[in-house]
Amino acid sequence: MFRNCAQSVLKLSSRSTPRLFLRAQSTNALTNTQVPFTFSKSGPLAVKYTSQHEWIAAHEDGTAFVGITKYAADALGDATYVELPDVDTEVEAGDSLGSLESVKSASEIYSPLAGTVVEVNETLNDSPQLINEDPMGEAWLAKLKLRSLDDLSNDDLMSLEQYEGSLKEDQH
Amino acid sequence: MNVIRFPNLITRLPRTRRVFCRSLGSSIPFDLSLDTQVDRYSELNNMYTEMFTQGDEVRGTPKGDAGIELSEIDAFNAEIADTYNYSPQAISGYSLEHIVKSPGRFILQSLSSNPYYNLALEDYVFQNTTFAKGQPFLSERLLFYINEKCVVIGKNQTPWKELHLDNCYEEGYKFVRRRSGGGAVVHDSGNVNYSYLTSRDNFDREYFNKQIVRWLKEIRPDAAIHLNQRGDIHLGAYKVSGSAFKIAKGKSYHHGTMLIDADLASFKGLLKPAHLEGVIWSGGSVESVRSSVKNISEAGFNNTDEFMDICSNGFRSLLHEDIPVYFVDEVNTSNDEIAKTARQLASDEWLYHSGPSFTVTIQEHDVSVEKGTITKSSIPDTVGLSFKDFVLSLNAGLLAEIKTKI
Repeated sequence: MFRNCAQSVLKLSSRSTPRLFLRAQSTNALTNTQVPFTFSKSGPLAVKYTSQHEWIAAHEDGTAFVGITKYAADALGDATYVELPDVDTEVEAGDSLGSLESVKSASEIYSPLAGTVVEVNETLNDSPQLINEDPMGEAWLAKLKLRSLDDLSNDDLMSLEQYEGSLKEDQH
Repeated sequence: MNVIRFPNLITRLPRTRRVFCRSLGSSIPFDLSLDTQVDRYSELNNMYTEMFTQGDEVRGTPKGDAGIELSEIDAFNAEIADTYNYSPQAISGYSLEHIVKSPGRFILQSLSSNPYYNLALEDYVFQNTTFAKGQPFLSERLLFYINEKCVVIGKNQTPWKELHLDNCYEEGYKFVRRRSGGGAVVHDSGNVNYSYLTSRDNFDREYFNKQIVRWLKEIRPDAAIHLNQRGDIHLGAYKVSGSAFKIAKGKSYHHGTMLIDADLASFKGLLKPAHLEGVIWSGGSVESVRSSVKNISEAGFNNTDEFMDICSNGFRSLLHEDIPVYFVDEVNTSNDEIAKTARQLASDEWLYHSGPSFTVTIQEHDVSVEKGTITKSSIPDTVGLSFKDFVLSLNAGLLAEIKTKI
């Protein structure tokens, strides 16, 4: 039994480079010319990342933009359809915030924090390819009114450095 | 015995004891029919299932010679089946919950042909498989199911655009919308669906299909079986298998069809071509890629059980583990969660009212639809109607000014 287990682990680790993320190399920093950044003059209070590859950019007045990271967008390939949430939907952290279809795979998108959906990015309906072109800016998915800015210090959320560190860890 | 094929049990018995096992089998002290499974003996049977599915007891011994061991077991099981008219018995919903929520690998084979149950079962396994962050993922699962005649579209498709729904109803093909992406396919009892579950980190669109090609080629090296550029399995120039994927909560599955000996001639007239005269669709709906298909029986694989066995044995040798097979069916193996999902999958809400918003131009008329309901239309008195009802009226010729059908 133990020997079998050990063999399985060996087998797995020998092919465990996550193929999903092979192509992903480039930066996951927020695009500073698009509305998720420029919404307030001084830029967002904080930009945080989840282990499910969403980003959230929160502004001083409690407004936050959510999207998927460059890393995930690259890995999933060409987006063919974006399912956006309904405006006025109240979400808890971890609740569904729509989905993304790319090359026959449907991926769920989750809300990094609790809040209410106040606007969705309708341009994605006609131009899902924006997800691949500028996932960290123009292809924001939803604008939330956060329940509390204090939630930003939630331990489940990562800084850019932590997020990129977690990606490297995955690739070992 | 709820655990069927019990390879683990048998591999643990020395060769001489097998005879004993068989003679014991001839005097099975209880009825294996479904009825008695549900009531009187269910507690007893569940107890044994529990015993056989916990921890080390079930993990078998095959090492390098796994293939040989397993083919012996299969032959032995076939012999039992012949001699005692033995048929697979499904595990209970309770046992299913136990194996799904515990770490570890297994194979599930559904004995049900109800596509809504089978997809709900798959979703249940997917949603309830757990894993520890930062640890290697060792809970890969492989499911097989064979659906009765049905047409299946992707999560983000428009049924009326993809399917001749009236033909589907008339010919007895159920209409199904799955939760994964991709395009429209037709199933019947000659088509096997396989579903490989792993972590999101290990997700690779081509990984499992590459294994299937390898396993099939090991048996028939001359067969012209290969992966095409889209990662689909082809026999020569024809597609024999289609794939779709789902990613959620750190996990992923790849499910695919394999046409073994499907009645392909009957599939004609069920899926729509990309364009039909007089009707133009616009909106975000995901396009199907039309392909010419063939059965893999043309390469000599003409039995659905054989295909499932090849994949099961391949899966075991791939992971160097004697992974157990459990049988499930709709009567014995259900619970509230599966039943609820199956109802949702079969509901008008999911089938007709979900999916992308779209606008369809019929002759000179534009009809816009959101969540299955007409929101804008140049045809009088149609705003607010469900698009499903509108199409029924249209195709029945009740809208005099429009001759085109959808």
